[in-house]
Amino acid sequence: MANAGRACDTFPKLMRMHAAERSDRPAFRHKDRGVWRTWSWRQAYDNVRGLAEGLREAGVVHGDKIAIVGANRPMLYWAVTAAQMLRAVPVPVYADAVADEMAFVLENADVKVAIAQDQEQVDKLLSIRDRLPHLTRIYYDEDRGLSDYDHTDLQSLESLMAAGSAALQKDSGLARAMDASIDHGAADDASIMLYTSGTTGRSKGVVLAAGRSVAAARDTVAFDHLNDQDSQLAYLPLAWVGDHYMNYAQAYVAGSCICCPEGPDTVQDDLREIGPSFYFAPPRVFESMLTRVTIRMEDAGALKKKMFDHFIAHARRWGESILNRQPVPLAARLHYALGEALVYGPLKNVLGFSNIRVAYTAGEAIGADLFSFYRSIGLNLKQLYGQTEAFLYVTAHPDGAIRAETVGLPAPNVHIRIADDGEVQFKSPGQFLHYYKEAEKTAETLTEDGYVKTGDAGFFEEDGQLRILDRAKDVGKLANGVIFAPKYIENKLKFFPNIKEAVAFGDQKDFVTAMLNIELTAVGNWAERNGVSYASYQELAGHPRVYELIKGHVDEVNAALAREPRMAGAQISRFLILPKELDADDGELTRTQKVRRSFIAERYAPLAAGLYDGSEIADISTEVTFEDGRKGVISGRVRIADLSPHAPASKERAA
Amino acid sequence: MSERETLLSVSNVSLSFGGVKAISDVSFNIAKGEIRAIIGPNGAGKTSMLNVINGFYHPQQGQISFNGVMRKRMKPYEAASQGIARTFQNVALFKGMSTLDNILAGRALKMHKSFFWQMFRYGPALDEEIEHRKFCEEIIDFLEIEHIRKAPVGSLPYGLQKRVELGRALAMEPTLLLLDEPMAGMNLEEKQDMSRFIIDVNQHYGTTVALIEHDIGVVMDLSDRIVVLEYGHKIADGTPDEVKSDQKVIDAYLGVAH
Amino acid sequence: MMHLLYQIFIDPFVQMAGAPDLLVQTLWEGFVGGMLYALIALGFVLIFKASGVFNFAQGIMMVFAALTMVGLYEKGVPAPLALLLAIGVMYLLAVAVERLILRPLVNQPDIMLFMATFGLTYVLIGVGELIFGGSPKEVPTAQLGLPKGAYDIHAFGGLVSLQKIDIAAALIASIMVAALAVFFQKTRIGRALRAVADDHQAALSVGISLNQIWVIVWFTAGVVALATGIMWGARSDVSFSLQVIALKALPVLILGGFTSVPGAIVGGLIIGIGEKLGEFYWGPLVGGGIDSWLAYAIALAFLLFKPEGLFGEKIIERI
Repeated sequence: MANAGRACDTFPKLMRMHAAERSDRPAFRHKDRGVWRTWSWRQAYDNVRGLAEGLREAGVVHGDKIAIVGANRPMLYWAVTAAQMLRAVPVPVYADAVADEMAFVLENADVKVAIAQDQEQVDKLLSIRDRLPHLTRIYYDEDRGLSDYDHTDLQSLESLMAAGSAALQKDSGLARAMDASIDHGAADDASIMLYTSGTTGRSKGVVLAAGRSVAAARDTVAFDHLNDQDSQLAYLPLAWVGDHYMNYAQAYVAGSCICCPEGPDTVQDDLREIGPSFYFAPPRVFESMLTRVTIRMEDAGALKKKMFDHFIAHARRWGESILNRQPVPLAARLHYALGEALVYGPLKNVLGFSNIRVAYTAGEAIGADLFSFYRSIGLNLKQLYGQTEAFLYVTAHPDGAIRAETVGLPAPNVHIRIADDGEVQFKSPGQFLHYYKEAEKTAETLTEDGYVKTGDAGFFEEDGQLRILDRAKDVGKLANGVIFAPKYIENKLKFFPNIKEAVAFGDQKDFVTAMLNIELTAVGNWAERNGVSYASYQELAGHPRVYELIKGHVDEVNAALAREPRMAGAQISRFLILPKELDADDGELTRTQKVRRSFIAERYAPLAAGLYDGSEIADISTEVTFEDGRKGVISGRVRIADLSPHAPASKERAA
Repeated sequence: MSERETLLSVSNVSLSFGGVKAISDVSFNIAKGEIRAIIGPNGAGKTSMLNVINGFYHPQQGQISFNGVMRKRMKPYEAASQGIARTFQNVALFKGMSTLDNILAGRALKMHKSFFWQMFRYGPALDEEIEHRKFCEEIIDFLEIEHIRKAPVGSLPYGLQKRVELGRALAMEPTLLLLDEPMAGMNLEEKQDMSRFIIDVNQHYGTTVALIEHDIGVVMDLSDRIVVLEYGHKIADGTPDEVKSDQKVIDAYLGVAH
Repeated sequence: MMHLLYQIFIDPFVQMAGAPDLLVQTLWEGFVGGMLYALIALGFVLIFKASGVFNFAQGIMMVFAALTMVGLYEKGVPAPLALLLAIGVMYLLAVAVERLILRPLVNQPDIMLFMATFGLTYVLIGVGELIFGGSPKEVPTAQLGLPKGAYDIHAFGGLVSLQKIDIAAALIASIMVAALAVFFQKTRIGRALRAVADDHQAALSVGISLNQIWVIVWFTAGVVALATGIMWGARSDVSFSLQVIALKALPVLILGGFTSVPGAIVGGLIIGIGEKLGEFYWGPLVGGGIDSWLAYAIALAFLLFKPEGLFGEKIIERI
């Protein structure tokens, strides 16, 4: 191949290289109709070329924006590469976005062509079509239910690909032109546009360059020794930087295999079947896995439960030391080995972790208990800290120096500094080019010497590891001047399996308060075992005994806060349990499940007021969106509970 | 609708249990390709009617003809081989088996390869098993129950059990599908899903559906024609609009003192 | 007192450690017996699963089957042919049971069916005695290709003697158990059988004929009975007293559950081995005769700890 020697600085070039060098190695797998289908790098490359040719004939040219909406499917990943092959810019969109949110992104990005997974997404696109003047065509992957639709501007990807492949076969001129198009792809081409989740305000299109993306992925592939024997389960939203980096970019660099699950409900089973070697999940996924295991053990027989508890306790004592290759007494090692055979091994197998070499978590802080649980049973779980603007990695835990409360050392070739106001700033190989059509915002985010402002407040610990406190602009002060870091407190609350979400208030106030969501599975299970009957979520959330249970958790958090000199003054004085679950559909959470604090404060204004005016009970009525899009009103009285603070501990540091 | 070819006709059927009349002299027909509902208050004889249609009960009087053939006395299991599949009011699944095995059990009549080959899972029997597995996977995909493929059905929530039961009936590739209260005990969302599946089955596979359902709203939306029974007698028969405006039906449902 | 405790808790283990060859010999004999118990229990399990009947006649079916085979042989039929004919007779028996007992009694309370199997027991005894006479008969092992003699192995510091007929019995039992497991789990008929066991009405609705399944199940149980009868008969001889061995299947069922195939196998082995060990090492303490009740004692001891049996079906149902 003429171009084999040339540097691979775009994803299409990488794919072409793999198609030549490891043509028969698996590149993609997808479970469909109960069977894993596999495509080799050669097959995938041919398919991508077919798609690209089809799109080219449909009029897609350099610089066009192509929206990609749906779950993880090989076809949609190929569409990403096909767009890049034409030097067009793919714009993945969150599949669970409601039509309105989708309209904003597609409008903002001037999308010309949209690629949808199935009928549901096509319907959404059609419903917002009149707001999108640039949109010319829609393509879909799964044809179920779409046969009766007007196909003037609608076509299946399958037929697009077939037509494209046929054209390339017949006309070698076209094939050469496609090769040339790949060659023309340049390192500073816009490679992809990822919309930020918009924790605050409207989301922005982060434009990432091809060469930088590849360079960043090369660094981390080397860092974690990934190669073409590895495989990963691609189940995170396509539009999230985590998926684009971990599954797409790293796989294209390393030549590893991208496995797509059958559907969102089968991820756990698919994980077990694939047994990936590399795994990435936000903390809430690890949390819900542990919740499931715990619930299963509650229901298990006495002997099984005893065995489980015994060996997990042993793992908690020694597991992390063994994983970190520290000296451990032989007896403890043997005991651990027995546990591996009886408990840890089967448990990891059930969770799909048997073959994992490296697992990462990011996106939110992870509870120390949760984190060390997985590490203690022998899963090499690490944290990283990243941003869409960095193309993910800013810091990562190195093997052997892992602590739950830090996010690790700067990633390879990343430079980090802490600004005077405590904000973390970085320069990274994958750093973004600019926000699409937002020059002003871009300028605001970059410093004059080219560092990216993360907006996060943090500091370096003595061993050089970075510790993130909170969003810089969220860090406030209580009226008496004590530092108030809401997310820090919220995270501590959320580490309890019974608490699903927490929203802390306190900036400019006399004391700290919190609104909480209970976790229905865990609390429901607890209720069942403790004879607490309830008819609805609302009733359970307001139950006096549930308040008692949660109050215990909040008190523990206060005790933990009291042990930290910086935080001891910001203990929670009052809290309430919200009568409904916070929901992204109601705008209370972002699509990445982060709480929108100020929005919630406004929406539940009577409750927020109640928290500070000393009342025992507050009334609320609020609109909710049901899953089928209908709206309704939830109203009720909410109790407010009081706590007394713990005395700040003298000098001793929390573990 | 009436121009359609008749698939099943029930003529002057009466059924009684030890002197208690469950069905008295009821006649109606089911046309090919339609969704036909049988409604009526509790104890109207709806389930007995379904049991007559699929051969669980033998009417003392009257005739049933299916596919143009007058039915003779038959054994309960023979309805299946004639192309009649059904679900049950209280979900009759093989509780100890997985979703997949339940649906595969629906293929019982479609498997022919000899017992000998099956024992060794070899040769033609293996090919056959794979074919059937593929067929069942299509159904699993259609009903969106991939995530419970291997789960023992006894442990599933009720709504999903109903779906698996529908899947097992579909595995029989029936010409007539009898559904006994397919939406009983479901919440609104599950009912919507189930309605969608029933319509899809009817439209895409051309399966004739006869169903009993209590939720009148669902019945009116779903069916082409409706038979109304009360105390074993037919009191109305027609399109949803006709039935809705029928005085006898209004009386029966709005509870004029009986 | 101390002496008794010593005899119960210490001495047997000292003996085991002191003469490992005897221990191995005992374990082996227990294993062979256990496999045969497992086979008998399987016969019960099969029928119980498919028709919900505890088949009291299972023991006599074993004797009747073996008697038919041996009786035919004595009347001059070549042994292999006699075996085939006996299989044929078991098939006819299955058809007759379906026609004359199960079909008329369908939908009757289970106790009625149970009583009917009592009746079946006496019919089979009567017919058997009438045709083949009541005297014990010897199994023509050689003609059936079953080996005689023993392998004497010098090992474990002594001599372990493996009867060839025992090896054959263990082998045949293992093969049958494996075949039944495959049959249950992997074949269409096995699936239909499990379907019938789970829900009669639903099975009918998918076109499974209960009558066919019953014939198949009773026939399978008959073949299992024939194999067990011959194997057991070959170790002593075939007579009506053999049917008491079927009583040994009861503790196996208590242990393994009435519906579990793996339960029957594991239960059979536990009872078989436990019984031999108990008889050999603890039996002398009570002056022998321990084998008539030890199996039950073992089963009851297990039940104290696992009330649902070893693999008892935990029916998981949601309300």
